[in-house]
Amino acid sequence: MSSTPDPPRAQSRTGVIHDLGYRPYAGPRQAEPLIARALFVTGLRNAFGLGRSGKSKILPFILLGLNLVPALILVTVMVTLRLKELPTDYAAYAGTTQMLVSVFAAAQAPILFSHDLRYGSIVLYLARPMHAATYAVTRWASLVAALLVFLLTPVLVLYVGALLAGTDVTDQSRDAGIAALLATLLAGMLAAVAGLISSWSTRRGFAVVATIAVLLFGYGVIAAIQGIAHSQDQLWVGEYAGLLSPYSLYRGLAESLADVSAGSITPPTGAAMEAGYLVVALALVVGGAGALVLRYRRVAGR
Amino acid sequence: MGDTIRTEQLTKDFGSVVALDRLDVAIGEGVTGLVGANGAGKSTLIKILLGLLAPTSGGATVLGHDIATEGAAIRGLVGYMPEHDCLPSDVSASDFVVHLAQMSGLPRHAARERTADVLRHVGLGEERYRPMGGYSTGMKQRAKLAQALVHDPRLVLLDEPTNGLDPAAREEMLHLIQRIGADFGIAALVTSHLLGELERVSDHVVVLDGGRLLRASATTDFLHTTGTLLVEVIGDHGAQDLMGNALAAAGLPCRPRGHVIAVEATASSAEQDVHDLIRDTACALGVGLVRIQVDHRRIEDVFREGEEHVIHA
Repeated sequence: MSSTPDPPRAQSRTGVIHDLGYRPYAGPRQAEPLIARALFVTGLRNAFGLGRSGKSKILPFILLGLNLVPALILVTVMVTLRLKELPTDYAAYAGTTQMLVSVFAAAQAPILFSHDLRYGSIVLYLARPMHAATYAVTRWASLVAALLVFLLTPVLVLYVGALLAGTDVTDQSRDAGIAALLATLLAGMLAAVAGLISSWSTRRGFAVVATIAVLLFGYGVIAAIQGIAHSQDQLWVGEYAGLLSPYSLYRGLAESLADVSAGSITPPTGAAMEAGYLVVALALVVGGAGALVLRYRRVAGR
Repeated sequence: MGDTIRTEQLTKDFGSVVALDRLDVAIGEGVTGLVGANGAGKSTLIKILLGLLAPTSGGATVLGHDIATEGAAIRGLVGYMPEHDCLPSDVSASDFVVHLAQMSGLPRHAARERTADVLRHVGLGEERYRPMGGYSTGMKQRAKLAQALVHDPRLVLLDEPTNGLDPAAREEMLHLIQRIGADFGIAALVTSHLLGELERVSDHVVVLDGGRLLRASATTDFLHTTGTLLVEVIGDHGAQDLMGNALAAAGLPCRPRGHVIAVEATASSAEQDVHDLIRDTACALGVGLVRIQVDHRRIEDVFREGEEHVIHA
């Protein structure tokens, strides 16, 4: 154990020019719910690059812009041609742009779930009053909210456009409301999948690729199975296969519960299967959030 | 004095490795140095005190709160500066510290005010608005210290705060730590494997070795136990030898050390008597007495003796 030579003991005069002395803090200290709310808001902002470097705003806003293009075109067409109903269903929109939704989820989930693990800043959260479980659930909620902003902004554009074109307010509000409910369910599922992958991978690139693979490639496989099942007239195979991907669950639920044409060729039929779709979707949400809690509890205990 | 930290038979083993072995230690106000070689159990102790690790057996209280049941309360009152990197590269120190202040329960406006204050205290200037990825090690350490102080904790746990710093930056960090204890009124537990640097800033020193308590006492105890006085004289050629012989004749064991005389002031003789005797001897010889100085020993000398003591025990 070697020692360094004794440095000069002369008083260091640096850094004391504007020293006004230390002021203790006597103000309020908030409880866990309000701390979690602050983390939620910061997480939601960070998911869109707000409060981060200028560069990190580019991707989310480009994606958000691209996601709005079809909606704006549809509204323009509707208003110009004086159509009396929307050329698409609100709930079908997320299916049409699922590529963009997936890229958004894959690219932004690591900001909320990988960053703190990769940079080690998770320990600064764990050394503060909030519990690891609250941290995990709050992070998940931030991603759900970011995805909802992403999914519902075009719905809002369509809704406003439809009303401007003079369609019935009640009909449009009901359809848009159903779409919002389904979007919430989809956002919960996507946040669970993307969040889990990101929390297991501290490498952002890997998390992005893996999430896109699971969401898009996974759905591609399911859609292929459903196509074959449909052509072979074995619809039940397609119905069961639909339980395995968030997007096929979403489409199936939109077709069966909301009676919306969302592009599922083998939607669930019968009350049991429809209930099965709903239960699996909810289980994915709850189970994913639960797995995130377990993941961060483990990190905390390390 | 109410103990800031008290551990009782605190034990932590990671399978075959025992990181803490029935540790009993009480730590009070002011700055306490937690000294030990790498792997002595310093970081493990800090993580257990924060509730980040569960002890295998035994217990501890921090600021009167039990680590087993009141972890959240402890974490609200304690600031923690980890040893390793913990700063995201794409966020500015200012934004990050504001955020972490909120994570400690401060409302947003208070978090902003406190962040500005604390960043000024740790000496981060305009660079506070730049992403931390571009910071030097010294700036990163300041940002890490700022986040540990931002919620005005009653105790800060600083894990190797001088790690990786160049000598000038280390001096500034040590000066800051001294101010945390003395001016800010915040108790501090500071770990270091460099023993020499803690002796000037800490009021108490706790020495860990292999997860066991080697020694815990006031820093002054460590430094004053030498009992040696350094005496420098000027005069005609050979004045030093003359003085040395005269002191020896007067019953003070002494030996030359460079251009000074090291006088062994025995524990039995009062300090004032020895000082008077040296003064009188110099007067009698007609040599000029330049200085009488207490020989400050370094903590590591004591530590080394302690190690030997343990080995021989």
